[in-house]
Amino acid sequence: MKVTLISIPVLDQEKALQFYTEKLGFIKKKDMPLEGGNRWITLVSKKAPDGIEILLEPAPLHFEPSKVYQEALMEKGIPYTQFDVDDVGAEYERLIALGVEFSVKPTVMGTFKFAVFNDTCGNNMQIVEML
Amino acid sequence: MTFYQSEIQRIKKACFSNEKQLEIAIGVKNYIEANYEHNLNLDVLSHLKFVSKYHLLRLFKKYYGMTPRQYLIDVRIEKSKEQLQQQLSVTETCFAVGFESVGSFSSLFKAKTGKSPSEYQKEQLSRSNSILKS
Repeated sequence: MKVTLISIPVLDQEKALQFYTEKLGFIKKKDMPLEGGNRWITLVSKKAPDGIEILLEPAPLHFEPSKVYQEALMEKGIPYTQFDVDDVGAEYERLIALGVEFSVKPTVMGTFKFAVFNDTCGNNMQIVEML
Repeated sequence: MTFYQSEIQRIKKACFSNEKQLEIAIGVKNYIEANYEHNLNLDVLSHLKFVSKYHLLRLFKKYYGMTPRQYLIDVRIEKSKEQLQQQLSVTETCFAVGFESVGSFSSLFKAKTGKSPSEYQKEQLSRSNSILKS
């Protein structure tokens, strides 16, 4: 068994695709049409094109518990998941310049530095750097 | 302040309030990253920070969730990927990143990445060729 995919619930797949590729810098790997206007969209990191794919899943639009869970995390400021970066400070400045909104500025916690931003598709996301 | 921020503050206070310990763990981790190709062991690393090797082992594991040796292997494997991508031979790569035997390098590489160093190198080469052709 191996891990190949993680899914991120998004409220708008096209908007998410633009945000995750144009602002965060992921690369689109697959984009297949499904029924009802939904798509199977996966992304990979530029640094690991053979690595784990992110699925931009429209679950909150079709499955109420997913919507409830996403809204509860957002309300409490809890990140849905996190991405590793080499330098949280530099990435924070780069994303701020692109208009990305942060709820937590770069913060040191023990042997890690992290920050939390809004992915504009219903989620808080965390970037993390190991110190 | 959100619930998440208050939880972070609470956990930080409970788990990461000992600055001296953190300074030792982070210092050793940075030293490993800067000197991975050398013969590093617990004796060397503990002398660096004037602590006993058992204390260092405990601290590193507490703050990074792995031993310094495990971290050193991870760093070496990551660096070896860069060397293999630059078409260094498996043997050259092995010694360049600090491993002392090609056998242990190959088995550790396979355990960490799921591929042997030569399989990894071939894959990377074929990827570069297909990018050039497209």
